[in-house]
Amino acid sequence: MAHQDEHLILCAGFVVGDLSDEERRLFEAHLDEGCAVCRAEIERLGRAAYLVASAAPIHRAPTAVRARVLDAVRAEAAADRASRPTQPLAMAPRRRPLAWAWGAAALLALAAGVWHWRVTADIERQLAATRSEVAALEAKLHIEEEWTAFWSAPHAREIRLEPTPDGSKELVAKVTYDPDSKRAVVALSNFTPPAGKDYQLWAITASGPASLGVIRADGAGNALIRLTDVGAAEAPAAFAVSLEAAGGAPTPHAPAGPVVLVGKVGV
Amino acid sequence: MERIRARDERALADLYDRHADLLYSVILRIVRGAAEAEEVLQETWLQVWRTAGSYDASRGAVGAWLVTVARSRAIDRLRSEGSRRRVESESTLDPPAPTADAADEASQRQRSERVTAALGQLETHHRQVLELAYYSGLSQVEIAGRVGAPLGTVKSWTRQALLKLGSLVPPEDFS
Repeated sequence: MAHQDEHLILCAGFVVGDLSDEERRLFEAHLDEGCAVCRAEIERLGRAAYLVASAAPIHRAPTAVRARVLDAVRAEAAADRASRPTQPLAMAPRRRPLAWAWGAAALLALAAGVWHWRVTADIERQLAATRSEVAALEAKLHIEEEWTAFWSAPHAREIRLEPTPDGSKELVAKVTYDPDSKRAVVALSNFTPPAGKDYQLWAITASGPASLGVIRADGAGNALIRLTDVGAAEAPAAFAVSLEAAGGAPTPHAPAGPVVLVGKVGV
Repeated sequence: MERIRARDERALADLYDRHADLLYSVILRIVRGAAEAEEVLQETWLQVWRTAGSYDASRGAVGAWLVTVARSRAIDRLRSEGSRRRVESESTLDPPAPTADAADEASQRQRSERVTAALGQLETHHRQVLELAYYSGLSQVEIAGRVGAPLGTVKSWTRQALLKLGSLVPPEDFS
């Protein structure tokens, strides 16, 4: 279909991904026809849509994911390589008496080779996938074993966070913290934030506050959170919760909103 | 992307290092759970590896395509029954902002602040339709119902919002 003004309107929905399935299908068909006007518009609007992503508070991707992705990718690449033939599959036959017999034998050998190659490639692909799944399960098991040990850690201590004058008795928070493993489990109740706000958890050290993250409670306002590397750089003297604008404080080094709960780590 | 199409794992690692933090941040904002966000991030990169051939440079830059893949997977997760059950039974904490590389962190934060400020300058209804589309996974029909405006108006607002946002942010923040 030739370019029409309605297509320009669809460009915006296309880049933010909120067209209906039917609209997207028709619009993609229009793009496939090579409409230069719409392609230029998508380029322009797509850059702006990408900016919206940049406005999300930046969080570092967990390092374990990188390793898992690259392990899986290497396994797939190895399977791909294994499934590619490395030798020419057939050679031109030499003219000799009984050439047909040699030809038939060569065809049989070729068929057997192809069959063997396919079976081998399938097995190697399945093996690579299984290895990847086993590695992921082992990693999960290891993590769960470490958390099981956490609950019987000899130096773990329990900190109940108390409301400040800016807080409310409705907010209930308890931190179990093990200084040896640097792990903590935080149990929270009634943590549904007001509209446009988020609660944020902090470790208070001698150098100042360090954000532990923005709290995402379930629909009932409850949360049970496991944390690693708590106080890895510096032992926390207290834990606190602040009420921030949605997305959390602009810097991970200081609350911007009021501190609503605080609890000291006992010795 | 050519190298990834040629099954070069190092090319994927390079791309991951440049974009993983941004993708994780977007996913986390949509699924709102660190454990789920990790899974979606992993699925996103495996999809990038397996479907690199479908990337069409004439339909936008690599970064925009990666964000589209990540958002699509995160929104699928958000809509799935399993996800709703887990969100109700578990709860999570957004991990803290990075602290390992102070210069990089400051640069990312400043950029985020500039874009956030630009979003703040948009008309409220423009910003609302953009954020609903981007992070909630609602269709334009659903957004129209949510904001109480005709569908055609929502389509028009979305375009106007993107054009205005693009004009408010310095060019260096686009990549």
